[in-house]
Amino acid sequence: MTSDAATPLAAELIGIDKEFYGVKANDNVNFLLERGQVHALLGENGAGKSTLCSILAGLYRPDSGEMHISGAPVLFKSPKDALAAGVGMVYQHFRLVANLTVAENLALGHPGLDVRLNQKELQQAATELGQRYGLPVDASARIWQLSVGEQQRVEILKLLYRDAQILILDEPTAVLTPQESKVLFKTMRQLAEEGRSIIFVSHKLDEVKQISDQVTVLRDGKTVGGVATADAEPKDLARMMVGRDLELPTRKPSEDIGSVMLGVSDIHVQSDRGLEAVRGMTLDVHEGEVVGIAGVSGNGQRELAQGLVGLRPLTSGSVELDGVDITHMSVLSRIRAGCGYVPQSRLGMGLAPGLTTEENLALKAFRRPPYSKSRRLVASAFRDNGEREIKEYDIRGVRPGLPIRLLSGGNLQKALVGREVEMSPKVMILRSPTRGLDVGATEAVRNQILEQREKGVAVLLISEDLDELMALSDRLLVIYEGEVVGEMPTEDATAERLGLLMAGQREGAS
Amino acid sequence: MAARRFIVEPRGLVSWKVRLLVPVLSVIAALVVGAIFLALTGENPFDVYGQMVDSAFGSSRALSETLITATPLILTGVAAAIAFKMLVWNIGGEGQFIMGAIFASGFAIWLGDGAPAYIALPVVIVAGGLGGAFWASIAAIPRVYLGTNEIITTLMLNFIALSFMNFLIFGSSSPWRDPAVSTFPQGRPIPESARLPEIFNRLDGGLFIAIALAVGAWYLIGKTTWGFEVRIVGDSADTARYAGIGVARKILGIFLLSGAYAGFAGGLFVSGPVGALDPRSLDLGLGFTGIIVAALAGLHILAVIPVAILMAALVNSGPALQSIGVPTATVTMLQGAILIFVVAGEFFIRNRVRRLEPEPTPEPVEVEAT
Repeated sequence: MTSDAATPLAAELIGIDKEFYGVKANDNVNFLLERGQVHALLGENGAGKSTLCSILAGLYRPDSGEMHISGAPVLFKSPKDALAAGVGMVYQHFRLVANLTVAENLALGHPGLDVRLNQKELQQAATELGQRYGLPVDASARIWQLSVGEQQRVEILKLLYRDAQILILDEPTAVLTPQESKVLFKTMRQLAEEGRSIIFVSHKLDEVKQISDQVTVLRDGKTVGGVATADAEPKDLARMMVGRDLELPTRKPSEDIGSVMLGVSDIHVQSDRGLEAVRGMTLDVHEGEVVGIAGVSGNGQRELAQGLVGLRPLTSGSVELDGVDITHMSVLSRIRAGCGYVPQSRLGMGLAPGLTTEENLALKAFRRPPYSKSRRLVASAFRDNGEREIKEYDIRGVRPGLPIRLLSGGNLQKALVGREVEMSPKVMILRSPTRGLDVGATEAVRNQILEQREKGVAVLLISEDLDELMALSDRLLVIYEGEVVGEMPTEDATAERLGLLMAGQREGAS
Repeated sequence: MAARRFIVEPRGLVSWKVRLLVPVLSVIAALVVGAIFLALTGENPFDVYGQMVDSAFGSSRALSETLITATPLILTGVAAAIAFKMLVWNIGGEGQFIMGAIFASGFAIWLGDGAPAYIALPVVIVAGGLGGAFWASIAAIPRVYLGTNEIITTLMLNFIALSFMNFLIFGSSSPWRDPAVSTFPQGRPIPESARLPEIFNRLDGGLFIAIALAVGAWYLIGKTTWGFEVRIVGDSADTARYAGIGVARKILGIFLLSGAYAGFAGGLFVSGPVGALDPRSLDLGLGFTGIIVAALAGLHILAVIPVAILMAALVNSGPALQSIGVPTATVTMLQGAILIFVVAGEFFIRNRVRRLEPEPTPEPVEVEAT
């Protein structure tokens, strides 16, 4: 299996096994990475992509299997060892110190550094590296001052500063605008031409098609196949990932939309830091309509959603739900008025991680029969309704009596969305509902959203995923720095046009 | 050679067998360590352990004494368990216990001999709970509305409560002090009608009240909508807010309930075996021991009951061992050893230690990080 001594592979993982809690996350996985290539790693959630990357990056040790870097067998005990061997990873959640500058973050943990930091030298090095690879950043800025896209650049620069030869990027485009993604792809190309190797983890088939040279598909912890990208059709890749044909649901144009169900006029909401994050937004969502809110993360999405459901006070403006002024209502009154909410953080807010699935399914409905009678919980109602909903919403992996946090992301989201649907809301606010979900769960959640729309629910879809917004929304609004900067029917939207608006470029009178 | 032959990994799902087996093995391990220590100090471990079991359960008198001590421990244990489970770090059980005793004895004395038992007893017990809840509220209200650290405030309030009790008896001629005794000051005996009737040797009905209260707490937390809300708050405050639950009020509620349970313990202890606000009989650290009981019970409310009985046996065996020449400090040491082993055992409940398979690559190159 070992390649010719003349051109050893950049990395070779053979027969990798890794088990967690009796589940094989990686089952005899083979992965061959050639020098100077962009190699896409495709797979559904829980397919073992992250595990494999983490093994290569030294975060986990495989239970068995061989790893070779440039032809030499290696055994990484920590990410430090991996970095020393030239392997580095940009995680989905960045590993940066928010209060330090870009240059200081670059220096952090770097083996060749003096105790005394030469800020000037460091900053110069950072700036030069950034210019060379099309990753411009202000080296003296502190991390918290940077946008998510800029922080990602710092993560990549960190690896380049250590001269990593193998760069693992875990879903790097999830946090970027289309334009930013393009810039990133250019950088990836440049790095590959220099002879570095890049592992690009993604769900998005079009991106994989666009940027990679080679694709490896994982399913259920096993290698399904590896193909040259040029030979693979997106449809074939999707089938390899899921194991069956599937079509993502898209919206049918609605014949008639009803009256205004959610009316938001000129609301202002502050962020945790006391800054004005929503600056005078006005919007309507009609009965049976999906309104999509596009925008780069951090432009007021969180504050908008929390302001609407009552988790965050409005500094001014008003909100009406089905003609009733809910501006000053508590969260509970809004829930009772028919306001459903799927927050971005599933385990942090939408679900109680330590309670069981059945309890979580009753998280909002428990105050009333059949779940409780005269303030006493009715165990049989929890069980019976739980069983029914688990079946109805296809929530897999539930074991009675065990906490819900043990479920996979897709099943958590199916439970969360299912519970909100069960409350028969009039308005449903969803934030990035399919973020991080695999194709199967995405399909289920999107179907659920469209079903609600058919039923006449007014849906406000706040998402950073343009494909999702375009597939589901009747109308699109673009927000930038807390303001609505553009509105259009979905038919008139293109990724290009949305991307420009998301980046803060205003259109003329359109 | 491979650097590590054993690896530690999280278990994820923990079966009830492991939950039960690990603490039992931990206690056995602690006893073995204790035995080694005893042997080194020239004692026969089997004699000592035999004497301990005998002094705790060996006779009906010993058994009833054990159960008398267990009664307040059940309640202070429940007090700690319900608070800790909701991430409210009320370590003021000691002070709330004392304040419960002060309130209970105060009400009993105020009612006097005239009140019939069916009025006096409930009043005294409820007063105990109120006293504990009142004392907890001094820490709870600033915790909930101003974000003060309840670990510090509840701890400090323990000393204030203790000093206040000492003041009532030793430092003043308060109604709590017995005016009939002029030599060494002591608490005024509360009226007979406010005393719990004895049913078995010195054991009074307090044990059954304590068990009923523990079951009541279990029911309240596990089976009511209020308890469900509290559990959601304890699991994730953000989720609770999202589900429309008033988080501050729930935390306040559980804090006061915890205080009330410690106060009940004080009330029952005064109304039962002690019969007066007597500092020497009340300052036994029963509130603190309740924290240990709760920890050993894994914060399970019903598990507190048997653990409290075992802890009471351990506490009571101290004086009995002195009679055969073993220092009380040995018992304290054994208690400490058991606690440390059980708490350390938690690690093995959560994680599994597994032997690593032999490395597949015959000679892996250890990559050195410079």
